[in-house]
Amino acid sequence: MTETSSTAPGDPSTPLAVRLRGIGKRFPGVIANDDVNIDVRRGTIHAVVGENGAGKSTLMKILYGVQPPDSGTIEIGGSQVKLSSPADAIKAGVGMVFQHFMLADNLTVLENVVLGAEKQHGIGRKARAEVRRISDAYGLGVDPDALVEDLGVGARQRVEILKVLFRGARTIILDEPTAVLVPQEVDELFGNLRELKKEGLAVLFISHKLDEVLSVADEITVIRRGTTVRTVVPADVTSRQLAELMVGSELPSPGISEKATSTRVQLAVTGLTLHDAAGRALLDDVTFEIRRGEILGIAGVEGNGQAELVEAVMGMRPGATGSIVLTDQDLAPMSTLRRREAGIGYIPEDRHRHGLLLDSPLWENRVLGHQSRPPSASGRLIKRGAARADTQRIIDAYDVRTPGTDVPARALSGGNQQKLIVGREMSGDPILLIAAHPTRGVDVGAQAAIWNHIREARADGLSVLLISADLDELIGLSDRIEVVLRGRLVGEFDPSDVTPEQLGSAMTGAGSAA
Amino acid sequence: MRRSSTTLAALFSASILALTACGGGGDDTASDGGSDSEGGSDSGLKVGLAYDVGGRGDQSFNDSAAAGLDQAIEEYGIDPQESAAEDGESESAREERLRTFVDAGYDPIIAVGFAYEAAVAKVAEEFPDSHFAIIDSETVEADNVANLVFAEEEGSFLVGAAAALKTETDNVGFVGGVETPLIQKFEAGYIAGAEAVNPDIEVQSTYLTQIPDFSGFADPARGKTAAEGMFDGGADIVYHAAGGSGGGVFEAAAESDNLAIGVDSDQYETADPSVQDVIMTSMLKNIDVAVFEYLTAVNDGEFPSGITRYDLSVDGVGYSTSGGQVDDIADELDEYKQQIIDGEVEVPSAP
Amino acid sequence: MTRVLRALLGLLAPLLALVAAFVITSLVLISAGDPVGEVWSEILQVPETRNVANIVNQACVLYLSGLAVAVAFRMNLFNIGVDGQYRIAAFVGAVVAGEAWLPGYLNTALAIVCAMAVGALWAGIAGVLRATRGVSEVISTIMLNFISTSVVAYLLREAAVREEGSNTIGTKEIPEGSRIGPIPLAAADSGPTAEIYGFVVLAVLAGVAYWFVMSRTRFGFDLRATGQSTTAAVASGINVRRMTIITMMLSGAVAGLVGLPILFGEAYSYGSTFQSGLGFAGIAIALLGRNNPVGIALAALLFAFLEEQSNPLQILVGVSPEIVAITQGVIVLTVVISYEVVRRFLTRREQSRVAKAERPADPAGPADPAPTQDQEARA
Ligand SMILES: Nc1ncnc2c1ncn2[C@@H]1O[C@H](COP(=O)(O)OP(=O)(O)OP(=O)(O)O)[C@@H](O)[C@H]1O
Ligand SMILES: [Mg+2]
Repeated sequence: MTETSSTAPGDPSTPLAVRLRGIGKRFPGVIANDDVNIDVRRGTIHAVVGENGAGKSTLMKILYGVQPPDSGTIEIGGSQVKLSSPADAIKAGVGMVFQHFMLADNLTVLENVVLGAEKQHGIGRKARAEVRRISDAYGLGVDPDALVEDLGVGARQRVEILKVLFRGARTIILDEPTAVLVPQEVDELFGNLRELKKEGLAVLFISHKLDEVLSVADEITVIRRGTTVRTVVPADVTSRQLAELMVGSELPSPGISEKATSTRVQLAVTGLTLHDAAGRALLDDVTFEIRRGEILGIAGVEGNGQAELVEAVMGMRPGATGSIVLTDQDLAPMSTLRRREAGIGYIPEDRHRHGLLLDSPLWENRVLGHQSRPPSASGRLIKRGAARADTQRIIDAYDVRTPGTDVPARALSGGNQQKLIVGREMSGDPILLIAAHPTRGVDVGAQAAIWNHIREARADGLSVLLISADLDELIGLSDRIEVVLRGRLVGEFDPSDVTPEQLGSAMTGAGSAA
Repeated sequence: MRRSSTTLAALFSASILALTACGGGGDDTASDGGSDSEGGSDSGLKVGLAYDVGGRGDQSFNDSAAAGLDQAIEEYGIDPQESAAEDGESESAREERLRTFVDAGYDPIIAVGFAYEAAVAKVAEEFPDSHFAIIDSETVEADNVANLVFAEEEGSFLVGAAAALKTETDNVGFVGGVETPLIQKFEAGYIAGAEAVNPDIEVQSTYLTQIPDFSGFADPARGKTAAEGMFDGGADIVYHAAGGSGGGVFEAAAESDNLAIGVDSDQYETADPSVQDVIMTSMLKNIDVAVFEYLTAVNDGEFPSGITRYDLSVDGVGYSTSGGQVDDIADELDEYKQQIIDGEVEVPSAP
Repeated sequence: MTRVLRALLGLLAPLLALVAAFVITSLVLISAGDPVGEVWSEILQVPETRNVANIVNQACVLYLSGLAVAVAFRMNLFNIGVDGQYRIAAFVGAVVAGEAWLPGYLNTALAIVCAMAVGALWAGIAGVLRATRGVSEVISTIMLNFISTSVVAYLLREAAVREEGSNTIGTKEIPEGSRIGPIPLAAADSGPTAEIYGFVVLAVLAGVAYWFVMSRTRFGFDLRATGQSTTAAVASGINVRRMTIITMMLSGAVAGLVGLPILFGEAYSYGSTFQSGLGFAGIAIALLGRNNPVGIALAALLFAFLEEQSNPLQILVGVSPEIVAITQGVIVLTVVISYEVVRRFLTRREQSRVAKAERPADPAGPADPAPTQDQEARA
């Protein structure tokens, strides 16, 4: 009895879009995939869930021809294929939307879509018509002539999907598509996915948000330590059961959250203002305080000034005016390094661009941002031994799944990279943590663990500026929530009596602040 | 990111190397042709010729030396071997070239160009039984070294005078290939000659490149631009001492209906027919004569040493008359020539 | 085990490249109708002592050039201007040493410091342009090469002393007491001497310093981090502009050393026949040596060996020595490819090793019985 087919839900006569058998893939020191078996039916949404480092992304990359499998077979539309490049996969009707969008900002939607696929429909009127047709057929609502840089995250994602459809994909892979979306956008995305499946396409998607998975997927395959453990239908499981399947044991119960807010102001930001080159306000007179032991959540649709706020506080944005005071120190004249030394930990929004040296070993990544402080440095010298030892401490404390401290950061799965960064930024006892999406891409278990770490530090007096697209995280973790809209703070909420829906409408400017 | 830039860099430097290599290939075949040509009776003399950068085929002074060698091959049937310097090479590479000749039994060894000055001095001392000749340098003093030097300034004086006599605008030009003391001798003599005829004459003067960039001797496009500038500036005759770049000077003269003066050999004879008419005369620096005379002496069993100066008195330098354009002023030029030989006129050798 | 094996396999890549270069060069020779066997036996013969000395000397110079390029490479900066930097620096060093304001080795030290400072400043111009105006250092250093040619030519004319009757010009000779004495390789009773530059010692020290700074200091860390990801460097608190300027200056300072072995060990003055083009060779050598101090040394020795051994080719075999330019080019190109090949091979080997190691240790495998039970319970 094979695991996958035995519990295959839905109509078993529906033809298979994708059939993976015995897929195996090893990396130095790790088995990323081992005997993976999945059947994806046409006209269904198939979710893949599993812990960080379980091998989900690897499997999807194999199916998209980015990496060759070491063993196993891939069947698409009933016939066995060998995919040695994404071009092969596209030819076979498989397309993939990566978590990091790959769009050129200064081109229009049409140009982006056509780029690299000129052969399909040309680049002229025919291509435009085709973009319109696809957009209408699946309700994507994409304007071919819009500039990509003017689009929000949700719209960009739809462009990515359109790009894939334009190339004739019948099976679409989405790697953690919802991680960057706010709830409304998630709903819209799921609406689009349902359209796709109505047209007979198959959708494969990865997510760590189990509630979402249960609401949209027709089938769910659970991967644990590289192998498929089961395929279930949403009706049969709860999210807790799913999580337990992923981990292979009971979930730890979430830690108790103790309020620890004192009256002492730790961070005071006053009149923070920043303009772009065209003179538009990115931050408009932003004023707030965070007290010792307090977590201030910032809610907002991506692109409303959160990134700028964080970077201004970190001193990475020349041209920002206003005052930023940490305990008694005026941060304004300080460099980023001095601010870090003053006790700021920084979990950046984009871990690849701002958080890691992907080709450097983990221990060097531990040093990054802490070059001037013990234990990784003393004076002008780097202490390699101490840095390695402390990296091992982070690996243990934050459950980073890695074969060692000398592997390059690139070899870690997305979630494990994130855990390493969180562990690094929490070390050295910061007094202020700037956390942008601290659990993005992290599995439920690890998410709870990170929350616990933050809460524990808060009890010791850590102040946190929390930015998150995950409203549950915002509401669950924050002591206070401010909503940011077009660079201004437009309303304050008490997390104990606000619903995600209320927050969501405030974020889009639809509702008024409570 | 990092890797791609590295790869690019590799391609970049490889293509540079490839280009250099191509250039080298050209020289290679040229020198092969030279060393293979043998003739006359066999004297058993093994002669090594170490060229400066460019080697045989540079249409300049290396070729001039090669011509002298070829003549000696023809008449005495010697066994020659040639080797050219590489651009920007190390001192030890030059020394090693000479030593290789010695080791392989070549004697005498002729070093073409002042770049060999230090190398000849050193290697000649190491091998007192071998014989060397060096062209364009008189500082190496040794019993086994012959210095073959030229009074370029004297020849240049005459063509300068010719230019001043012929100009209708009282404005003439000088284009030097690379600004070295050697080429400055050409310039100094030329200016002195022109001013001897007409103290108020305007002489425009420029160099194409500076040390260590020796491309000024092989860049016709640059030569042409420089000459065009001078013609635009009112000159009607331009003298070049720029090796292969001179072709550009001739072109510029032809296109603007002006005149030019060649250098080293009689360029009227070797130039492209389309520009032949603009070559009023050429300053002759008879390296071929010097090389041939040296080899003649060697063939006769004696190894000259010390300085042999090729100046006007021995017709080691001079001016050419093919084309007949300076026939009408020949008397005046010969008068200057005599005055220089007699020491009545002193020609400066530096500007 | 892997450390040693890795190191051995690390040698495999350059070795592969050498073989490829050998084959391709041979093909070129064959197609040109040149005597392949003779060419190789000439190049690959055991060099005589005096040739060994020449090789070491030339390698010393090339090594410094490679180091200078590598400093910038480590930060993803492409310093094409090493050529101009070393020429202007060697010129200034020669003038200072020739003037001999200080006695003996103090004079030498002063000249070395001045040369490094001039190299640093010259490269610093490109660094500042890059940091403040975003001008690509590739373009600005190329321009600076041209400018330094003119500047040196002009200044040389001003500072030159010229012996009567000589066609070369040069700076004042460095007084005997300030020269860096050679290290004799073998006692030469007659004929050519075999001596290596005393400066070789300083070059080795420079290599050690390079290694230490890059891998052990915070500065080196910042430099490499910036080279890998500017955005991550900024977020970590590194002042990227400052690093850009300092790195270019450091690269230029090392470039300032390039001409000095020749200056203090052989030429004793800077003149019209001073060796040029060393900066470009440095680019290839840094690439070949993978920015590693030992690798660069090996690459420099290899290049110097090829050049020295090919010198007599034209005289003895009738083939232009520039054939080795092809060999060198092919080596640089193929080494990049073969590093990739070897890396893939290593990964594959490691994978099967992991697979073998993990299977028997965990007989149940990752698919432990839990889900099956779970599944049966549910079914
Ligand atoms: N290029 C690589 N080199 C070495 N190891 C790798 C590489 N890519 C992935 N791995 C390893 O393979 C395993 C599976 O990684 P994968 O990215 O597929 O996990 P994932 O399920 O997508 O996790 P996440 O939820 O954190 O994104 C991990 O242990 C990871 O460290
Ligand atoms: Mg992943």
